[in-house]
Amino acid sequence: MKKRGKGIAATFYGTGYGNGFPDVSKAVAEVDHDGNVNIYVCATEVGQGAKTIIIQMVAEILGLGMNDIHLISEDTSQTLDTGTAAASRQTYNTGNAVKKAVEVLKSKLLEKAKEHLKLPSLLGLEVKDKVIYLKTFPKKRVCFKDLIEEKISVEETFTAQTVQMDEETGQGAPYWPYTFSCYGVEVEVDTETGIIEVIKGVCAQDVGRAINPELIEGQIDGGFSMGLGYGIMEKLNCKDGEIKNNKFSKYLIPTALDMPELEKIIVEDPESSAPFGAKGIGEPVILPAAPAILNAIYDAIGVRFYEIPVTPDKVLSEINREI
Amino acid sequence: MINKCINPKTVEEALDILESNGKDVKLIAGGTDLVIDLRNNKIDKNILMNISKLKELRFITIDENEITIGSGTKFIEIIENQHIKEKIVGLWKACKSVGSPQIRNMGTIGGNICNGSMAADSVPPLLALDATALIIGKNKTRSVPLRELYLDKGKVDIADDEILYAIKFHRLREKESISFEKLGLRKALAIARISCSIYINLENNSIKDIKIATGALGKYPQRENHIEKRLVNKKVDEIILKDIAEEMSKHVSKRLKGRSSRSFKSIAIKGIFAEAYKSAIKGANDESHKSHNK
Repeated sequence: MKKRGKGIAATFYGTGYGNGFPDVSKAVAEVDHDGNVNIYVCATEVGQGAKTIIIQMVAEILGLGMNDIHLISEDTSQTLDTGTAAASRQTYNTGNAVKKAVEVLKSKLLEKAKEHLKLPSLLGLEVKDKVIYLKTFPKKRVCFKDLIEEKISVEETFTAQTVQMDEETGQGAPYWPYTFSCYGVEVEVDTETGIIEVIKGVCAQDVGRAINPELIEGQIDGGFSMGLGYGIMEKLNCKDGEIKNNKFSKYLIPTALDMPELEKIIVEDPESSAPFGAKGIGEPVILPAAPAILNAIYDAIGVRFYEIPVTPDKVLSEINREI
Repeated sequence: MINKCINPKTVEEALDILESNGKDVKLIAGGTDLVIDLRNNKIDKNILMNISKLKELRFITIDENEITIGSGTKFIEIIENQHIKEKIVGLWKACKSVGSPQIRNMGTIGGNICNGSMAADSVPPLLALDATALIIGKNKTRSVPLRELYLDKGKVDIADDEILYAIKFHRLREKESISFEKLGLRKALAIARISCSIYINLENNSIKDIKIATGALGKYPQRENHIEKRLVNKKVDEIILKDIAEEMSKHVSKRLKGRSSRSFKSIAIKGIFAEAYKSAIKGANDESHKSHNK
C-alpha cells in the first residue's frame, strides 16, 4: 500500500567560520589609466555563482554593465586572501570586502572629478558607464579615461564578527549573521517495498536580499537534491573510519528523475551588516530537506526514524516490527 | 590484459576469428558493462573483438507467429519499436528501465543476456516469454531455451567459438500479456534490487498458462516454477494473492539464506510480485494491451 504524509522542518544556520575563528576577506578594486575597472578577489567559483554576484555588486555601485568589469579571481599570484568558498560565507564576507573597496574607489573617483570639473562640492555627482557627471547639468562630465593618469587602487578588508563560546557554559555569539529556512515536503511510502518517493517540496529560504534570484533558485534545487540524498539514499557505510560504500554504482545520489516539483519562496529581509543586505545560502538550502522528509515519513507510516539515510530496508524492517 | 582489438566487417568474419582464436577473444558490443571490467583489469583474455558494428546482429523482425530480436539490437531500438511498446509491455518496460538514456543508446540486449548478471533488466521478461536463444558458430547453429542458458553467476552456455545471434519468442495474442516490475533504489541509473516479470494467458477468467521470472534473487535470473504450478488452471477470482505472495517470500528467504539482503528482499518481493501479477492480469483482460503503457 502506498501511504502519503507531509512534514515540515525549520532550520537556522550561522554564516562563516564562527566560534571566534578569524574570518577575513580582502579585496582590491582599481581603475587603471585606460579607465578599466579591475576587481581582485579569490572567491572560488564552485558553481554557486560567487563570481556573478561579485560582479553584480560592483556594477551596482559604479553604475556599470556586467561586461565592463574585469574580475580576477582564483589566482593567488594576483589576489589577496578572501578565505575559502565554504561556510556559505563568500556572498557575505567577500561581498562586504568588495563593497567596501569599491565604495572607497568610487569616492576617490568623485573627489578627482570634483577637482577636474572645478566644482565646489560632491553633491549631485553621478557615475554611469565610466562617466562622472553632474545630475543637474549633465554637460559637466568627465570619463574615467580622461580623469585618471595613474591607476587608482584600493584594498579593503572585511572581518566578520564572531565570539568564541565559553567552554564551561556554552554561551557566546559564535556566528553572525544567521540564515533561516523552512521546507515542507510530501512523501509517498510504499509499505510493501519500503521505497520512499518525495512527491513535492515547498522551500522557503531567507536570503537577506536576493542579489540574483535565479541563482538562488538553482541553489535551492541543488540543495534540496543533496538533502534528499542525505535523508534517504546516501549511505557511506563507514567501518573503523573507512568508507566501505565507495562506488557511485552503489553510493546513490538522486538523479533528475528523483527530484520532486519544488515551489520556491524567497524571503527577503535585508541583513544590516551584509552587502546590499544579502546573506549566503549555499548550505542553508540543504539543511531542512532531510528532517522535513523524515517528518513526512512519520506522518505517512507512524514510524519515527532517528538515523539517516532512511533506506527501503530500514522502512520495511520497522513496518514489520510494528505489526 | 587486452593487447589487440579486432573489428570484423561481417558475422562470418567474426565466426572465423572465433573458430581459430576463440579462447583468447572477448566480445564487446555496447560495452556498458565490459568497459568497466576492462578498466578494473578484470578481463583475462588478450583480444577484444568489436561486434557492435555488425548490422546482421541488429534487427527486430515480427512475423505471424514470432518475434526475433538480434543480439546486437540496442535498448533504444527495442524501446522505439511500436509493436513491442504496445504488445510486449513487460519487455518494453524492462528495456526502458535499463540505466540511463546514454546506456540505453549503447547497451545491447545480447550483452545484457550474455553478461550473466543476476540483475539484468531485460532477462526476466524474456524468461517469462519462454524465449529461445539462437546461437551460431562456424558452420553450426543451435537453439537453447533461455532458461537453460544460465550455468552460474556470470556464466552462460555459449562456447568460445560461438556468438549469441538472436533471441526469439512467440507473439502475444488476445488474453495474453507480459508485465514487468522492478525495485530500484532510485528512479534512473538504478541496478535492480528485485525484478519480476509475469506472462499470463487467460481463458474464461482462469489462468491457462503463467510463467513467472525474477531477477536479482539468486545467482542469475530464473523462473519460479513452484509458484507457477500453484496458479495454473486456477480461476482468477479464487486466487488469494496475499497467500501466493507469502509463499513467494518463503521461497526467496530460503534461496537467499546467509545473504545480508535476505530479510529485505524476502519482504519486498511480495509487493513487487503482487504488482507484476496485477499488471499481467490487467494486461490480459485489456485486449488492446494499450492501457498500461507507462
